[in-house]
Amino acid sequence: MVQIRLPENSKIEKGNYYKDKTGSKNLRKVNIYRWDPSTGEKPRIDTYEVDMDNCPSKVLDILNKIKNEIDPSIAYRRSCAHGVCGSCAMNMDGKNGLACTKPHSEIKGDINIYPLPHLKVLKDLIGDLSTLYKQYESVEPWLKTSKKNNEKENLQSKKDRAKLDGLYECIMCACCSTSCPSYWWNGEKYLGPAVLLQAYRWIIDSRDEDRKARLKKVADELKLYRCHTIMNCTNACPKGLNPAKAIASIKKMLATS
Amino acid sequence: MKNDNPLSPHIQIYNWHISSLVSISHRITGIINFASLTLICFWVSYLVLGKDNYEFVFIFLNSFIGKFLILAIVWSFSFQILSEIRHLFWDYGIGFELKTANITGSLVIVGSFILTLLIYITGKNFLT
Repeated sequence: MVQIRLPENSKIEKGNYYKDKTGSKNLRKVNIYRWDPSTGEKPRIDTYEVDMDNCPSKVLDILNKIKNEIDPSIAYRRSCAHGVCGSCAMNMDGKNGLACTKPHSEIKGDINIYPLPHLKVLKDLIGDLSTLYKQYESVEPWLKTSKKNNEKENLQSKKDRAKLDGLYECIMCACCSTSCPSYWWNGEKYLGPAVLLQAYRWIIDSRDEDRKARLKKVADELKLYRCHTIMNCTNACPKGLNPAKAIASIKKMLATS
Repeated sequence: MKNDNPLSPHIQIYNWHISSLVSISHRITGIINFASLTLICFWVSYLVLGKDNYEFVFIFLNSFIGKFLILAIVWSFSFQILSEIRHLFWDYGIGFELKTANITGSLVIVGSFILTLLIYITGKNFLT
């Protein structure tokens, strides 16, 4: 259901202000969404003054600096710091992306950091993605083949392999799905761009023998056709992939098969 | 199990861009067109009832509000038509690259006003 307003327990309050203690002249204000499950309080926005003279170039560097030097209580996910693992996906300056690949110099004015949109918050910048993972499992993201010959590689022509370009690079960071208004309003039933791109990745794989069943499974008013080509997904993808196009390709396959 | 954790903010904080704007406008103009078609049908059936009714409609449509209403409806239809053409190309699998989508989105917005103007001028010439 379309619910524009946040529920009562999710209304954001003004939080703490952490003044700079280094005496630096090159300061930036960083506003960060905070919520602690142990206190029973509402979410709040804490503001930090960060010394930019001694801070590397990415938004994740700012978060690390705050955690190390100003407020160790802040929680966020991160791992590789090179845009490969997809852990540090969050909403920065009104757009989803990976904190480790987003330069803070691209952001004008104060830096606003929120968790990925329309998720149940676990703590601070960490959203609960378990629904999305369940949906991912539902498209059975593995190769299905009747070939019993395990001694030889399952070969694929260069042309067939090229069809997977722009799909296999997906790191399942969920930036696209959580940027999609359709997924916000129908996240329980609509699979969302990330999962549909993965579904297409297996549908189009020449080695997979389950194409028909896969297509049939995904051909559903709610699972697939809630995509209205809003293009937020393609706009958000930190890997430069095009989930909107993948979804359109599934639709086209269904319309022409 | 009931989950009482807060919901992270969504539409309140997410940036708008051309494609999302055109998408929501496509919906809104769709609803406007639906309503205005009903209205136009009422007008037409109203006219059947005689000369006095015709004059009433004529005066209303020539008033400032009437003219604004007509222009608004013409714009709404123009926008819907152009945006629908964009959707037709998408259905064919063309125009999904970010740059292309931004350009076609801008074309829809600018084009809707140009088309409105063209229809207005054509209509005016037709009357006189």
